[in-house]
Amino acid sequence: MTNDGPGQSAIDTRHSSLPWRLRHYANAVWAENIKEWKLELTYPLDFVRSLIDPVVYLLPYVLYGVALVGGRFSPNLHKLVGTTDIVSFITIGYVFIGFLNMALWAMGFSLRKEQMYGTLEAVFAAPVPRWIFTMGMSMHSILHQFLMIVVQLVFILAVFSLKVNPLGLLPALAMIGLMLIALYGIGMIMASATLLFKQGWLISEALGSLLMVVTPIAYPLAVLPVFMQKAALMVPTTYGIMTARHFLIGEQMGFSVGTAFLRVAVLCVVWVVFGLAVFAVIDRYTRRSGTLSHY
Amino acid sequence: MNEERTPALEVQSVVKNFRRGRGLKKKITRAVDGATLTLPRGELFGLLGPNGAGKTTLVRCIATLLIPDAGTIKVLGHDAFKDSLYCRQRIGLLTSGERTLYWKLSARDNLNFFAALYGLTGKAREKRIDYLIELLGLKDVERERLERYSSGMKQKVSLARAILHNPDLILLDEPSLGLDPQFARFIRQFIKEELNQKQGKTILLTTHYMDEADELCQRIAFINKGKIVNVKTPEQYKRDIPHTEVLEIRLQGQPEVAPIQTLPGVERIASEFKDGVTTLKVVAPRAEAVLSEAIEHLRKGGRILGIDIKQPTLEDVFLYETGTSLGADTSEQKPEVQ
Amino acid sequence: MSFAATAYVIRAEMVKTIRIYFSYPVIIVFWAVFPVLWVFPFLFQGKALVGSGSSAAFEQLTGSGNYMAFILIGAMVSNFVFSGLWGVGNSLREETYWGTMEYIIASPTHPLVILIGKTLAEASITTCIVVMQATVISFLPFGIEFTVAKVLPVLLLVGLLMLGFYGFAIAFAGFTLLIKEVHGWVHTLEWAFFLFSPIRYPVQVNVITAFVSKLIPLTWALVAIRGIILLNQRDVGIWKISGILLGMDAVLLVGGYLTFVALERKTRRDGTVGMH
Repeated sequence: MTNDGPGQSAIDTRHSSLPWRLRHYANAVWAENIKEWKLELTYPLDFVRSLIDPVVYLLPYVLYGVALVGGRFSPNLHKLVGTTDIVSFITIGYVFIGFLNMALWAMGFSLRKEQMYGTLEAVFAAPVPRWIFTMGMSMHSILHQFLMIVVQLVFILAVFSLKVNPLGLLPALAMIGLMLIALYGIGMIMASATLLFKQGWLISEALGSLLMVVTPIAYPLAVLPVFMQKAALMVPTTYGIMTARHFLIGEQMGFSVGTAFLRVAVLCVVWVVFGLAVFAVIDRYTRRSGTLSHY
Repeated sequence: MNEERTPALEVQSVVKNFRRGRGLKKKITRAVDGATLTLPRGELFGLLGPNGAGKTTLVRCIATLLIPDAGTIKVLGHDAFKDSLYCRQRIGLLTSGERTLYWKLSARDNLNFFAALYGLTGKAREKRIDYLIELLGLKDVERERLERYSSGMKQKVSLARAILHNPDLILLDEPSLGLDPQFARFIRQFIKEELNQKQGKTILLTTHYMDEADELCQRIAFINKGKIVNVKTPEQYKRDIPHTEVLEIRLQGQPEVAPIQTLPGVERIASEFKDGVTTLKVVAPRAEAVLSEAIEHLRKGGRILGIDIKQPTLEDVFLYETGTSLGADTSEQKPEVQ
Repeated sequence: MSFAATAYVIRAEMVKTIRIYFSYPVIIVFWAVFPVLWVFPFLFQGKALVGSGSSAAFEQLTGSGNYMAFILIGAMVSNFVFSGLWGVGNSLREETYWGTMEYIIASPTHPLVILIGKTLAEASITTCIVVMQATVISFLPFGIEFTVAKVLPVLLLVGLLMLGFYGFAIAFAGFTLLIKEVHGWVHTLEWAFFLFSPIRYPVQVNVITAFVSKLIPLTWALVAIRGIILLNQRDVGIWKISGILLGMDAVLLVGGYLTFVALERKTRRDGTVGMH
């Protein structure tokens, strides 16, 4: 008979029932999220800077547009997609690209960060499926991203006065929710890539650069060459941006809202399945090659 | 399956290779070579070997962090690869190295986080963490960031994490490495008295400190160049080389010592060069018989600083069985696989 | 330390930095290729908002409606300038990560000498990369031509610009010793430059950005460089601008040096030199 401290029976963690496991995994996701917030807030200056960054990042693109047109409204943009307000057009685009960058960078480097801390092995030794950790880190990234968007939008509203259709907010949020699931799959792929390639930032940077070109952030899809348009339609943020602009400022998309939601739903399945598969393969590979703890 | 009779750990013919180098210059070295051992429940078992012997690799295989290239590992009768979630629930792990915790968080925050990963929730989690913090003497510093802790205190937090979820099998990889004597003594006492004797935990401990293994372990496996050479109790090891003495000669510099092996009566030699001094150990049935010839030879190469004739310690037994000193670094000596 | 010994240390640091750089050949290829890609969104944005390769509103602000050439020149100059910022901040960070920072600080060489070696190494590599980019760009149909008569004054302006910028980078290096995690700060600084200097857009379009931009040497250099390359202006007031840049350089170099020394002393007092 052993005596190993209070709460012995209460800390028997050897359950295997499905409800217990789901609760356990949900707690693990939440704990990972809280841990990341605690670590982030140990650098308060960095945290504040990260909230101001999206504004500093966005403004040159808006001002470039204003300089090109000589004001806020573009007749040529109206000809292309039925809306003239370039400030709203560009702002919505850059709000969404923040989500894509989140998948490529914040989620993409989540496991690499654990390697840097030296805790990846300790975390992977825990009785939780390893892809669960990426969900916890994604939760932190998504919440962080929403915080940045709020700051961005408050600033733009204050300085430029954003003109959007308030009834479009709910459907836009629905699209964001769907888009985030697909982006989670992309984030898993990037997290795996950065575990495998020590210079994984190159992949994020290269992919991010290519996606920044083909994604219709500050311009409509129609101005891109056809092959780039096709590439853009494989990326969930394309649909996110276009449908949000459709709902909020009346951009004409070239396909129906239903089509957009359906395509994003398909992309969710494709990217999540692909992401989990890539993660499983690379997790096994790093455990075979012994590079899990190598930073 | 009769759970009580099932061994806590069964390692059968485990092999682990690593690829090193780049491109065409890649070579494959065997870090663990057919390791086999069985730990009954409640045993404190030691894996003793020099740096690079394969101890950490084997521990990481057991903890499911590495996938072996051959062989099987079972924890409480369950395959560690096929049933890894089950096994991870029952294993507590302490790895070597300074950076295995979140330095920017406090001990309590670290333990709270890992407790969630191991399925501890609510009041039970709080109680468990309170208990461990008290037990390990971390009460005064529990809310300070780990970056301010000494190495010994960080190791205590690592130990708390390893036993947080009341595991059946505890893997301790070099638990006292780099610690000052006071903390090292505390860790050893805690492992032996609290974890093994009081709580009846099964513990696999790796170390290259002979006295640690001798003091703590009920049985010890010698591991060298990836191979488990022998598994016995400390007393059996010492008994099994009777009529053997160890001649220890300390020399200035690094004179040539290999010819000593050829002297009549010499069974094994090993030398270690550290801080400008070579310590040569000669294992022979009667040390006095080889003493004068050895000195005659060595005097030509350098100044003799000291001579001692001793009864063999476990370290000397290791040297006798493997031909390698415990203080050696054998990481570059692993066999290449063709 | 004698001048010869100091020069030797600078050379050794340059060689070391360049060797480490070339041990990642993929990174060199990346930096040679991708910065060119980053200007394409501006091309497409122009097409969408204006409908052609030329903008009358742009011409009113800058003297030329050729917005792509405007962007490309800004990109090349800013790549050159920011590589210094990145290189210095990043390489000090790496020294801390590898654990060699304490040994550098403990050596009899002043850390600034090490920094000079690092910045010269970065400058050499970046010069090669920017020359490659400029060659490619001159073949693109954006109306950018490089002649000897244009390149010489541009080199003078870029040289003066880099001098001041290295002063800034040295101050930033001091912050690297203090803050440790500077990756995010480098990005923020970069974006602040994109906002307050005419790299990506003519800052005159907004009163606040126009005012702040006058305090940044990059603004003066870029306006003159575009005047020479894009507007084929013979007289951009190069000597006046050179004088302004020299004045700013003096302030930035002295300020940068003093800031670095103060922050390096602080980290040694606080005992955080080797902390990662």
